[in-house]
Amino acid sequence: MSHLLDKLRFFKARKEPFANDHGVTTDQDRSWEKGYRQRWQHDKVVRSTHGVNCTGSCSWKIYVKDGLVTWETQQTDYPRTRPDLPNHEPRGCPRGASYSWYIYSANRLKYPKVRGQLMKLWREAKAKHRDPVTAWESIVSDPVKAKSYKERRGMGGFVRASWDEVNELIAASNVYTTKEYGPDRVTGFSPIPAMSMVSYAAGARYLSLIGGNCLSFYDWYCDLPPASPQIWGEQTDVPESADWYNSNYIIVWGSNVPQTRTPDAHFLTEVRYKGTKTCVITSDYSEASKFGDTWLAPRQGTDAALAMAFGHVILKEFHVDKPSAYFTDYVKRTTDMPMLVMLEENEGRLSGGRFLRAADLVDNLGEDNNPDWKTIALNSDGRLTSPNGAIGYRWGEKGKWNLEQKDRNGELDLTLSLKDYRDGLAEVAFPYFGGAPHEYEYFQHTEHSDVQLRQVPFKTVELASGGTAKVVTVFDMMLAHYGVDNGIGDSSRASSFDDNVPYTPAWQEVITGVNRADVIRIAREFASTADKTRGRSMVIVGAALNHWYHMDMNYRGLINMLMMCGCVGQTGGGWAHYVGQEKLRPQTGWTPLAFALDWQRPPRHMNGTSFFYNHSSQWRYEKLNMTEVISPLAPKEKWNGSIIDFNTRAERMGWLPSAPQLGTNPLGLTTAAAKAGMDVKDYVVEQLKSGDLKFACEQPDNPKNFPRNMFIWRSNLLGSSGKGHEYMLKHLLGTKHGLLGKDLGDFGGQKPQDVEWVDDGAEGKVDLWVTLDFRMSTTCLYSDIVLPTATWYEKDDMNTSDMHPFIHPLSAAIDPVWEARSDWEIFKGIAKEFSRVCVGHLGVEKDLVTTPMHHDTPAELAQPYGVKSWWKGECDAIPGKTMPGLTVVERDYPNTYARFTSVGPLLESIGNGGKGISWDTKDEVKLLRQLNYTHANEGANQGMARLDTAIDACEMILTLAPETNGHVAVKAWKALGEFTGLDHTHLARPKEDEKIRWRDIVAQPRKIISSPTWSGLEDEHVSYNAGYTNVHEMIPWRTITGRQQFYQDHEWMRDFGEQLCSYKPPINLKTVEPVLNKNPNGNKEIVLNWITPHQKWGIHSTYSDNLLMLTLSRGGPIVWMSEIDAKAAGIEDNDWIEIFNVNGAIAARAVVSQRVPEGMSMMYHAQERIVNVPGSEMTGSRGGIHNSVTRAVMKPTHMIGGYAQQSYGFNYYGTVGCNRDEFVIVRKMSKVDWLDTE
Amino acid sequence: MEILRILSLLLDYPTQELVAVHSELQTLVTDSGLTAEHQTAVNDFIQHRCEGDLMAWQEEYDGLFERGRSLSMLLFEHVHGESRDRGQAMVDLKQQYQDAGLDIGVNELPDYIPLYLEFLSTQGVQNGRFGLEEIAPIMALLACRLEQRESDYAAIFHALLSLSEAPIDLADLRSQIDKEAPDHTSEALDKVWEEEMVSFMANETASCGEGNRPSEQQRRDQYIPLNTELLQTSTNPTV
Repeated sequence: MSHLLDKLRFFKARKEPFANDHGVTTDQDRSWEKGYRQRWQHDKVVRSTHGVNCTGSCSWKIYVKDGLVTWETQQTDYPRTRPDLPNHEPRGCPRGASYSWYIYSANRLKYPKVRGQLMKLWREAKAKHRDPVTAWESIVSDPVKAKSYKERRGMGGFVRASWDEVNELIAASNVYTTKEYGPDRVTGFSPIPAMSMVSYAAGARYLSLIGGNCLSFYDWYCDLPPASPQIWGEQTDVPESADWYNSNYIIVWGSNVPQTRTPDAHFLTEVRYKGTKTCVITSDYSEASKFGDTWLAPRQGTDAALAMAFGHVILKEFHVDKPSAYFTDYVKRTTDMPMLVMLEENEGRLSGGRFLRAADLVDNLGEDNNPDWKTIALNSDGRLTSPNGAIGYRWGEKGKWNLEQKDRNGELDLTLSLKDYRDGLAEVAFPYFGGAPHEYEYFQHTEHSDVQLRQVPFKTVELASGGTAKVVTVFDMMLAHYGVDNGIGDSSRASSFDDNVPYTPAWQEVITGVNRADVIRIAREFASTADKTRGRSMVIVGAALNHWYHMDMNYRGLINMLMMCGCVGQTGGGWAHYVGQEKLRPQTGWTPLAFALDWQRPPRHMNGTSFFYNHSSQWRYEKLNMTEVISPLAPKEKWNGSIIDFNTRAERMGWLPSAPQLGTNPLGLTTAAAKAGMDVKDYVVEQLKSGDLKFACEQPDNPKNFPRNMFIWRSNLLGSSGKGHEYMLKHLLGTKHGLLGKDLGDFGGQKPQDVEWVDDGAEGKVDLWVTLDFRMSTTCLYSDIVLPTATWYEKDDMNTSDMHPFIHPLSAAIDPVWEARSDWEIFKGIAKEFSRVCVGHLGVEKDLVTTPMHHDTPAELAQPYGVKSWWKGECDAIPGKTMPGLTVVERDYPNTYARFTSVGPLLESIGNGGKGISWDTKDEVKLLRQLNYTHANEGANQGMARLDTAIDACEMILTLAPETNGHVAVKAWKALGEFTGLDHTHLARPKEDEKIRWRDIVAQPRKIISSPTWSGLEDEHVSYNAGYTNVHEMIPWRTITGRQQFYQDHEWMRDFGEQLCSYKPPINLKTVEPVLNKNPNGNKEIVLNWITPHQKWGIHSTYSDNLLMLTLSRGGPIVWMSEIDAKAAGIEDNDWIEIFNVNGAIAARAVVSQRVPEGMSMMYHAQERIVNVPGSEMTGSRGGIHNSVTRAVMKPTHMIGGYAQQSYGFNYYGTVGCNRDEFVIVRKMSKVDWLDTE
Repeated sequence: MEILRILSLLLDYPTQELVAVHSELQTLVTDSGLTAEHQTAVNDFIQHRCEGDLMAWQEEYDGLFERGRSLSMLLFEHVHGESRDRGQAMVDLKQQYQDAGLDIGVNELPDYIPLYLEFLSTQGVQNGRFGLEEIAPIMALLACRLEQRESDYAAIFHALLSLSEAPIDLADLRSQIDKEAPDHTSEALDKVWEEEMVSFMANETASCGEGNRPSEQQRRDQYIPLNTELLQTSTNPTV
């Protein structure tokens, strides 16, 4: 009984232990858990990515809490790849992971700002003049007032302004400049539209509507490899990183993949586990070196010599001794190797001339359409033939522009060598450049004659003119040039790899320092792998090869290897150039938006390098004479001019564009012509011929031709990409600069022939410099007006990359903080104000636009033979043929805003297209009306689809582009099929009904649809690789022969001795001698080569003034040098050193490292001038940036135009801003002055 | 505390409106609880600034407070820098305002000093003083850095310090700043640039990753490390 009362019957203790006394339940207050629970709580997660300069294009999750961005993590929802291929994830890198800091950084730009001095002038002027345009005029037309604010540039003194006030000022300035000087005196620069393409388009659309210039960037950054347009007629097309995994042999050459392609580098690691062999070629012990089974370290800048030696081995063993059946078939079908070249006689010597054309032969060989542009080969049955695919077949006829092995008479089997068909052996002269000594004797030369003579088998053909010509095949020329013996009894060729004859493995040892045995082994491995796997050998190549003056030789050298081995266009093979970011995948959807092609055509495009070289007056200091760099076989007197002379000739011949274009306001020309009773085009031609009207480029120091207004957005032009930084400060900005050299007038140098020389070169050419940025950058510091933009987490936009096939969004996690606005909203605001302010000054105007002969248009057939100047009477001045095309464009200035915010009518009346094909877009515009709604109000855009928001703009791109709209893709392939005579629509049919929309990509990154804009396929079976459709769909390359070209036959290419690839040593820039040991500080001065690679702790997705990045590196400007050089100059690690030459000076810390070879100094790209920079002892002002000691030097072969693949295209062809041939003086600083009192 | 609203106004970007009411402000300063010494200093500041050219003042303001980090007007710039804790700290501070029944009505961050001062001005004398005490180390730091740049803005921060009644040894702070200030060849400067060894196991008692952070001395903008513990706990009501 007692037991019964001892126990509770209905209850048990709440705190009874469980799990063998290991557990107990308690009721304590749990509010303490809040601390960590809330720490990782968030209100929403938004998908975004990082813009301008990052090739990664990685999707990120942005966490937002109470309207504040708190952190970001990597997205992990990329669509899977196929079986047996690693996934793209994980993507992202430490740079991206530290980005959210920027939003709330102390360096964030919060308000629109104007330099105080200018603001004062503006408010005074506004008080006096009601009309803002008159007010602006009163400031800039007064030299004292103008100078007073220009000379303050770069020295701080900003005040805040309201958006209304800055917009009015900017609009007034644009209107005044347009009215007084012309719309082509307004210019904008923004790079890399692939990353945040709507933001790029915002500014470009505004500029294009008012008639301003958009500057190219890919060539200016020297990321464009001119070899690609030369060989393929393609700007750049490369495999996606996933295709590395399909490769069986990889050479990583001058590309620091783990450092600059961080999120993609895993494919390189993974493919090595699969057994793929790798060879890394870098001059320094870079981070990529450890990825190599072999590491070769040629002296920097001599890569072409190494490539030539590889090529020698490949030709000898795989094309001559034991020809690979696969290689032979490949080069016959897809390259110009079987094409016939005429030998031309010069002072008794024969050398490689131009391609034989149908027009040279009797009755045009039956080809009456474009016979000047149809190249000729010899068929195996001994008859001459014009094979399908030459560029002459592209225009004026249909269905024969393809790579089928056919001509009008049927099937072909082309002859590679004339060895067995020859009429004789000709002694042909080949230029040799490797024998020239270098100015500091740093680069080694060999003791070979500058003209190499070889015996080449030829055939004699009868010409239509009645004479005969000796013709040879490109294949035979290649063997002769590479010094490869093919048993024709030419003793001048190498009998073994150990012979010291140009381009043997033995020959290159002196130049590159690489052991010949390694060269032979790597060449054999590379080629035999390609032979066994049908082309799965790949070269990944980067800036280390492309930033040299003769970058085309480096590139052609290694592309030759790939073409010889049948690797281009094959899965896992080919050329993987990853420098800069060129792949805007939905390109044809984007161009109408960006360049307002829906309203007016053509837009004004300008090549950036020539623009900056010209307008920052770098030509006034030019010491490089073209006779120093041409072929020993070329006529010297023809090249006795300055670089700028050749650029202005290229502009006048219609090869390159101009900005400004003509020496007068183009808005007035139509009226002037009417007054003279003439058609405007005839009038302009007559004026130009008489000399009454000049091209603006002939008088760059004339105030009429200044680039008066500049817009910079999404770029730190003056902080990172401005080659010739100090020249820009002096001549464009008119402010304090560190230029140490004298101009040609001061030191009595040879002045340009075609460009007017004025003794006092103009300074401060730009009246208004406006920069949009989200942080205070070096460029902002120098600007008159700084506009705060949205960061990557505050706007809606889109990204694509060449590294992967996905398109994904930047989307606004939060509204822009403070007064910041997105680029789209900013330019929309300026457009609105422009439309208001212009009334009374500008109405509907007729603007005469000049355009160069464009690639991918019939104009690329303009100049088949020779170079002729109309102004010298060598030919008639015919617009679009011998000089730039002339087009009158009607601009409706008061309706600029209405046009900006709506999809214009030309898409329905003319259609859309790209790369030479076009298609109808009525359905797509109709869809856009439904998606974006239409403008209801009466006015210039009534009934048109709206483009109010950035999302509207995204929808326009996505709807119009074949890559994101399956219907358009099918139309595009069909359009291409009309040219090729083949059906390609099967490539897009399976995805015909797929339409990728904005909300789709916000939900998940989407893989794009295959389109003829690109030469690879987005497919379930192959990874994207360039040239794939050329090889497998038989679509010609867009070159003169329609094939990949080993041989270049334009007259200027021949004058430079670049018919075939050669080794050309770095050039002598003469920038050290005038300042060497002239201003001693007691420390020893040594001379080093100057290299500026990308860094780990900065660009791409963040900038180097991010403190996390600064502390991960050394925190300020650093320059790497070798132990040997440091010892010689008495420098120890971490010493302050000064680097200088005539271009300018830099102060930095020394990093003394075994990584660096003797004679080289390296400074990472784009370290900011605003961070931790002391004064330079040389200039007395704050030490410059990495480009302070560089300057653009241009190569005339990049100016060629109107000639098939060598025709102008925006970012496609043009002069490039190379900078690695530069040398600098390095010495220890004696005292470090932070200039804190400045 | 009305004086906080005045000082908040003076620390904000200078405008014509401010200049227009400057004599009224001076009267209010004279009537405030500031010590005579600080009243004079603040009134001198107002007098000198409002007499001068407004645009020159604005330029100077921009150059001081909107360039670089060392004089940032954002509290957490000095506490968290670019660390991930910053976002959460702002969220917490915002919560504090909300608990007091206030929402931020403009496009500004919660840790903007003039905004924070305005908030304190609505919280009564006692709470206002507590609020000031919490940010006193930052006020002191800014005061000393401004002194070093010979800017009269230092007077405003000294006034705030005085109101906070926080015992901060300015002499010590000054001598620390002074020691590092010229920064030409001193070891301190080298420290900024030094690459520190990464040690994964060095300090197991510290929280994850702590041992691998760049040391405070490597931050050139922040010579004097702040006691972040103090600030974090005091502005975070949930802890």
